[in-house]
Amino acid sequence: MKRIHLEIALGTIFIILSSVVLIVMAAEEPGRLARFEVEQRAEQIEFGAAVFEINCTSCHGSHAQGIPGKAPCLRCPELFASRLAEVGWPGSLEDYIVSVVSTGRQVSTRPALYQGEGKGPPVMPTWSERFGGPLRDDQIRAVAAFIVNFQGWAENPEVVPTPLVAVDINDPVSLGRVAFVQYGCIGCHAIDGLSQATTGPALDGVATRAETRTGYESAEDYIRTSILNPGEFVVEGFGDGIMPTNFSELISEADLENLVLFLLSLTEP
Amino acid sequence: MLNSLRQRLSNIPRGEDLRNRIRTLIDDRVRIITAGLSIRELRAVLRGDPPTEKPNPRYKVITTSFIAHLRPRYYPQGSTWFTHTFRLGWFTTFFFMVELITGLVLMVYYVPFPDQAYGSILEIESNVFLGELWRDLHRLGAEAMVLFTWLHLFRTYFTGSYKGARTFTWLTGVLLLAITAWLSFTGYLLTWDQLGYWAITVGSSMAEAGPVFGPATNLILRGAPDIGVGGLLRFYLNHVVLFPLVAILFISIHYYKVSREHGISLPAAIEEGDVNDNKKKEANRRVDLIPDLLTHEIFLVSVGILALLLILYFDLFNSPLETHANPQATPLDTKAPWYFWWLQGLLKIDPAKIIENLVNPILALPLLKPLGLPPLELSRLLNSKFIMGLIVPPVVVGILFVIPYIDRNPARLARKRPFAILWGIAWIFILLALSYMGLPQFGIETPAATRVIQDLAPEEGMGILRETPYEELLPGIYTVGETDPDGICPSDFSYRNRETGEEVIGCPHLTEVFAQFSEGLLRAEEEGRLPDLHATMLIEQFGPELIRVELDVIWTDPETGATKIYAKHYFLHEDRSLEE
Repeated sequence: MKRIHLEIALGTIFIILSSVVLIVMAAEEPGRLARFEVEQRAEQIEFGAAVFEINCTSCHGSHAQGIPGKAPCLRCPELFASRLAEVGWPGSLEDYIVSVVSTGRQVSTRPALYQGEGKGPPVMPTWSERFGGPLRDDQIRAVAAFIVNFQGWAENPEVVPTPLVAVDINDPVSLGRVAFVQYGCIGCHAIDGLSQATTGPALDGVATRAETRTGYESAEDYIRTSILNPGEFVVEGFGDGIMPTNFSELISEADLENLVLFLLSLTEP
Repeated sequence: MLNSLRQRLSNIPRGEDLRNRIRTLIDDRVRIITAGLSIRELRAVLRGDPPTEKPNPRYKVITTSFIAHLRPRYYPQGSTWFTHTFRLGWFTTFFFMVELITGLVLMVYYVPFPDQAYGSILEIESNVFLGELWRDLHRLGAEAMVLFTWLHLFRTYFTGSYKGARTFTWLTGVLLLAITAWLSFTGYLLTWDQLGYWAITVGSSMAEAGPVFGPATNLILRGAPDIGVGGLLRFYLNHVVLFPLVAILFISIHYYKVSREHGISLPAAIEEGDVNDNKKKEANRRVDLIPDLLTHEIFLVSVGILALLLILYFDLFNSPLETHANPQATPLDTKAPWYFWWLQGLLKIDPAKIIENLVNPILALPLLKPLGLPPLELSRLLNSKFIMGLIVPPVVVGILFVIPYIDRNPARLARKRPFAILWGIAWIFILLALSYMGLPQFGIETPAATRVIQDLAPEEGMGILRETPYEELLPGIYTVGETDPDGICPSDFSYRNRETGEEVIGCPHLTEVFAQFSEGLLRAEEEGRLPDLHATMLIEQFGPELIRVELDVIWTDPETGATKIYAKHYFLHEDRSLEE
């Protein structure tokens, strides 16, 4: 057999083989697409949880459980069972969440229950980039997916586990760190390894800087005052009136104590 | 009327006549389509039989068909020996064609705007029939094209095929190498994920370091100080319009030289070596394009397609897609595409520092101290990014360009040009060494806690934590040094693996994760980098089918005595993919 004949024969076999591989791939494709969609949804929920943690926990609580007097619970049965009918939303719950998160709320729909009746700035800020907020559309969609994922718990409250606390309960610094997350400080202040937010000053090394502020008894006094009365000293480059002024109403004395100790541990390297 | 119809019908030939008439009719059509081959001849070509007519109608194809006229009528057999060319240039062209075809398909679905680009890639993978295959083919073809371009260059160098009439061809070839790299580089950004965004940001920041026109060049390239809407559109148009056209132009010039001017080189041994006459005669024997080489090339196409499909079918290659580009968050281990690692390695060298360190101790005794002069501070004058990023690479490429003009030795045989061969081998080693230096692991010190956690669950990609099956993620607080990795789950714990359906006893994967976490940190504690270590892994049920894993490391800074915290957390959903 000449080389040319061998090549004709092999080439034919290879082309048939390629077609077979392609047909097998095509036959498996609907399954792959379906699986990809499920995995994509899972990753969207994970991503949404991360976005939620950075942006939403200061008002809606660390685990979307809501903060009384401030913002509603987002994993409770009420949102899933009756909220759409209450506001007369004709579409799906996920779209409703996307819409509310994107545009925000200028006026509270439940002023008696939550923030919005002469108590501080508008209820819910606009989050979409399109309306001057910080989030992209895909991030907002992901947050909605994360919240809708709570449906299973909302319908069977008995399966909800008690949350674990990520702390050494004997260590006030570690407890303070949790408070930093729970009270939403994380949403505006960067700390290496916790948050990269830029709305407020970064707090790495805040304890060292606190020593140098004049007019305060101690570094501790400076930090405590800055939390409870943020207008008294505004770090250069940041605007006055951005940080909420109601922490004295929200935070317990014990939490505040721990939070201050945690911030005091952030010395400059 | 009826009469004329009858007359026409009677004119239609029958029997033998009819068959001949039809055969001639079809034959004429086939000759037009094949630019000169009759059916009989076409059949002979496909079977590898000798020509059926005289003069050889196969040569007619070369003069009448546009596509075929680009090719020579015949080659000397020696230049087609596999061990001489390895078909490297041919395969580079093949992959270029793969890129053109798959690229056109991807263009249908891709949206070149930052808000939608990443989403459109997900759409291609999740919602387009065989979309993942198209994307993988495009990505794999690109990597292969870059690889084969390099290999082709080295082959040409080592066989000395760039000399004499081929000098200009070499020049266009080096240009094509640069064009290929640029095509691939511009494609990198289009996915708009962290990988592409930061590779391009780091890469294009070199333009900014340039003198005088640096900022302006940067602005033209990126469309704004940072890559955004304008930058993406520019890179997209570079990738899909401008540079494919430039590539086609230079491939044409490159190939025209080869096909019309000097042909593919003969092996050096045939031209210069003392081989016997029979061998020489064989090497110079004509091999016709049609049918021999055409058949061979169709065969190579079938090899190429089958290889690509098999690689993808057996999942040996996956197009990477990291998380959405985030201009605010620089990833921990930024990595350029592999063919630019050597550049990244170059950028880690600071020549001014090296010269200072070499020169200052020598000058110190005789000159500086007695004369009271300050030590040499070159690094103030020389910007290393400027030298290593903007001076050295163009010089390297420049040397490549002018190799045929520097190397005036007319000999092609390896033993008659030992210096050139050594020089080539040295370059391969230099490129490999620089590429190794370009890896993020080289020369970049990451704090201990960060490194341990990054190795366990990298910011991008999987890592062993994310590969842990959902069933094994048992909520609890696990403390490094206290919790025994082997006792991390109850002794009677078991679950069914959802992929294989097998019963898994215990939680081997989680054990491994925690063991690696503990070992890494405890070792760093022993080395004194993490004194007073307190580290935990916290697994919490965060939502239905949603687990939150938090890794906390607390230690005392050895220098300042301050308490340091490094913490990272991850959300893991039950339905997530456990593979990359």
